[in-house]
Amino acid sequence: MSSDGARVLVIDDEKQIRRMLNIALTGNGFNIAEAATGNDGLNQAIVFHPDIIILDLGLPDCDGHEVISKLREWTQIPIIILSVREQESEKITALDAGADDYITKPFSIGELLARIRVALRRSVKTVDEPILAFGEISLDIARRIVTLKGEELKLTPTEYEILKYMALKADRVVTQQQLLRAIWGPNHQEHTHYLRIYIGQLRHKIEADPTQPRYILTEAGIGYRLVKDSYIKGN
Amino acid sequence: MKTTSVLPYLWTLLTISLITFIGIFLTPFFDLLNIALLYLLPVMISAVYWGRVPSFFASFVGVMAFDFFIVPPIYDLKPQDIRYLFTFAIYMLVAIVISTMAATLRDELEKTRKSERLTATLYALSRQMAAVTDLQQIWVSLVNTITEAIEGKIIFMLPDADNNQLIEVASSPASATLSSGKQLDIAHCVLEQGKNADSRTGVLGKSPTFFLPVRVENRTLAVLAVTPETEDESISPEQNQMLEAFTNLAAVGLLRVQLAKEAEKAKLLSESEKLHTALLNSVSHEIRTPLASITGAVTSLLEGGVISQESRDILLRTIKEEAQRMNRFTSNLLDMTRLESGMLKPNLDWCDLQDIIGVAIREIKDILQNHNLQINIPAGLPLVKTDFALIEHVVINLLENAVKYSPPEGEISISVQQRDKEILFSIINSGLVIPVQDRKYVFDKFYRLHASKNRAGIGLGLSICKGIIEAHKGKIWVESSEQNKNCFIFALPVLDQPLRPFGDIQGEENVV
Repeated sequence: MSSDGARVLVIDDEKQIRRMLNIALTGNGFNIAEAATGNDGLNQAIVFHPDIIILDLGLPDCDGHEVISKLREWTQIPIIILSVREQESEKITALDAGADDYITKPFSIGELLARIRVALRRSVKTVDEPILAFGEISLDIARRIVTLKGEELKLTPTEYEILKYMALKADRVVTQQQLLRAIWGPNHQEHTHYLRIYIGQLRHKIEADPTQPRYILTEAGIGYRLVKDSYIKGN
Repeated sequence: MKTTSVLPYLWTLLTISLITFIGIFLTPFFDLLNIALLYLLPVMISAVYWGRVPSFFASFVGVMAFDFFIVPPIYDLKPQDIRYLFTFAIYMLVAIVISTMAATLRDELEKTRKSERLTATLYALSRQMAAVTDLQQIWVSLVNTITEAIEGKIIFMLPDADNNQLIEVASSPASATLSSGKQLDIAHCVLEQGKNADSRTGVLGKSPTFFLPVRVENRTLAVLAVTPETEDESISPEQNQMLEAFTNLAAVGLLRVQLAKEAEKAKLLSESEKLHTALLNSVSHEIRTPLASITGAVTSLLEGGVISQESRDILLRTIKEEAQRMNRFTSNLLDMTRLESGMLKPNLDWCDLQDIIGVAIREIKDILQNHNLQINIPAGLPLVKTDFALIEHVVINLLENAVKYSPPEGEISISVQQRDKEILFSIINSGLVIPVQDRKYVFDKFYRLHASKNRAGIGLGLSICKGIIEAHKGKIWVESSEQNKNCFIFALPVLDQPLRPFGDIQGEENVV
C-alpha cells in the first residue's frame, strides 16, 4: 500500500488550516475528510475509515488527548498531532496517550508529508528487518553489530539498546519516558539524566559533529528522533 | 493642682514653727535682726516652688511669728519698742520683693519649659509628617499628638472623593463622633470657608466643640474638631496657637503624601505609556515589515504577470523567511509577557548544554547559513539543571543577535567551558561593537543601541535572555574580548551531578 490514495482525516477547528491542508494533501494524492470538532472527528473516524488522522491539540469542545484515548479504544490508526510551541506537556500527554508523532505550528508541508509517510509505513510494516540501515550506519539485529562507514563501532550494551530501540522507530519521535521504560524499566522514568549521558556518548561515537547531529536529533522537552529519511528535520 | 494647693501652706507653717523654735533658743546669743533674716528663708522657698500667694502667706505668717514669739514682749503682738514696727515693715517689703522676683522667675521658667515641650512635640510631629508615606499615619499621629496636649474629644475629618461628604477618619477616644447634625453642618462650613468655628452656642449642657480647618495654600484639606473636657471647657489662646501649629504641620504632611502619590502615579503612567508606545511602535514595525514583504510577494505571484521560475522561487522563499521571522517575534513577545507577569517558571531537568546548542542551531540554520560558525565544546562537561526550551531560546536569541550585528561571512564562535561551580557559554561576533557605557543597558527592555536603530528588532531578545538566565539563578553579561568583537556570556550554576545508571561502566565494551 502506497501513500497515494491514502485517506487522511483532518481534525482542526481552524477553517484556514483545514483548507490549506486539504489543498496541500489533495495535491499530493491523498483523500481528505475534515472535522471541526473532536466529537465530529470521532464520528468521521468511524464512517470515513481514514488511514491516518491529523489532530489539532487545541480543539474547542474537548481535549486532544481525550480524542486520542477514545480512538485508541478501538483502533491503531496512526495519529499525528498539530500543536504550538508552548504546549510541551500536552504534547507529551498526547504522545503517551498513543499519538504517533507531532508537528509544531507553523510547519512546512514538506515536513508534514514526511511525517505522514513515516506514520503510514509504520502501520503497514509487518516483517522485522534483520538489518536496519540509516545513512552510513547499519545495525545488524541478529548479530548485534553496528557499523559506521563499514567499520564496526564499539558500543556498550546500553548504547546498543538505545540505538536499536530508536532505529526500530526510525523517523518517529520517541519520548523520554518511552526510552527510559524500554531500556531501564518502569522504575527509572524520572531519571532523564541517564538519557543525557548515553545519548551524549552515542553521539560522540556515531556523529561526525556531536553538536550538530545528523542522526539522533533532540526534540526539546519531548524526547529524541532517529533520522533515517533526510526529509525529516525534526521539530 | 488641687492636691498641691494645701501643701505649700502646711509646709510654710511647719518651717516657720521650726524657725521660731530655733529662734527662741538663739535669742540670748544673736541679735534679733539676724533671727528676722531666717524668716526670709521660707518666703523665698515658697516663691520659687509655689508662686506669689504662698510666699505672701509665708511673709505674713513669718512676721506674725517673729513678733509674737521672738520680739519682746514675748506672746504679745504689740512690740516693746515701737522701732520694731519699722523692722517689720522692712521685712515685709524685702519679703514681697523676693517673692515677686522669685515667682516671676518661676513663671518664666514654666513658660520656657512649656514652649520647649511644645517645640519638642512640634518637632516630633513634623518629623512624623515628613516621614509618613500613607495618609492614615498622618491623622493618627495628629490625633495622638493633640490628645497628649488637650484633654477631650478629638475628631479628624476628611472630605470624600466627591468633596461633598465629610468622613471621620480618626478620633480620640476611638469611639468619639460628632454629637449632632448641627455640628456636622458647622464642620462643613469650616471645610468650605477655611475659617475656625465653634459650637459654643450649640445644644445646652453639651461642651462646646471647636472646629479648625487643616489648610495649605488656600485649600482646606480636612477639618479637626476638638471638644475640650477641662473645667472651663475652653481652649486657651496658647492651646489654640498650638492646635494651629499642629494642623499646619498635618496639612503639609497631607499635601506631601498626596503629591507623592500623584507623582508616583504619573511616573507609573509615563513608564507604562513609554512601554506601550515602544511596544506599539515595535509591534507595528516588526509585524508590518514582514507582512509587507509577504503581501508584496504574494500579490506579485498572483497578479504580477510573467515571472521567471527563478524569481518565483525568490518570492516564495521571501514569504517563507518573513513568516518565520514573524513566528520568532511572536515567540519573543509571548516570552516577554510571561516573564513580566511572572508566569514563566523554568521546568528544570538535567540537560546537556551541547544538546541545547545543537537544537538551537538546527532551529535557525536558515539565518546562520551566510555566517562562519565555529563551535568549541569540550567533551565531558557536567550536565546542567535547566529548562531545555528556555535555554535553547536564550541561545537562539544570542545567535540571532550575533548574526544581526556581524557582517556577512563574518565569524561567529560559540564556546562552552566549566569554571569552578559554573558553566560558561560565550558567543563572540565581530561587527558593531557595543560601547562600554551602553553595556549595562543592552539587557534592558526596548533598549537599542543608537547605531542599530535602523535595523530590524525591538530590543526584546536580550532582555528575555536576561530574564530567563536569572530565572535559572545564572548571570549574563557582555564584554569586548578583542577589538571589534562582542562577547556575550552567560553562566549557569553547576549542581552536584546525579548518580550514573546502575551497572554503568564507562568504557564498557560491546558484547560482540
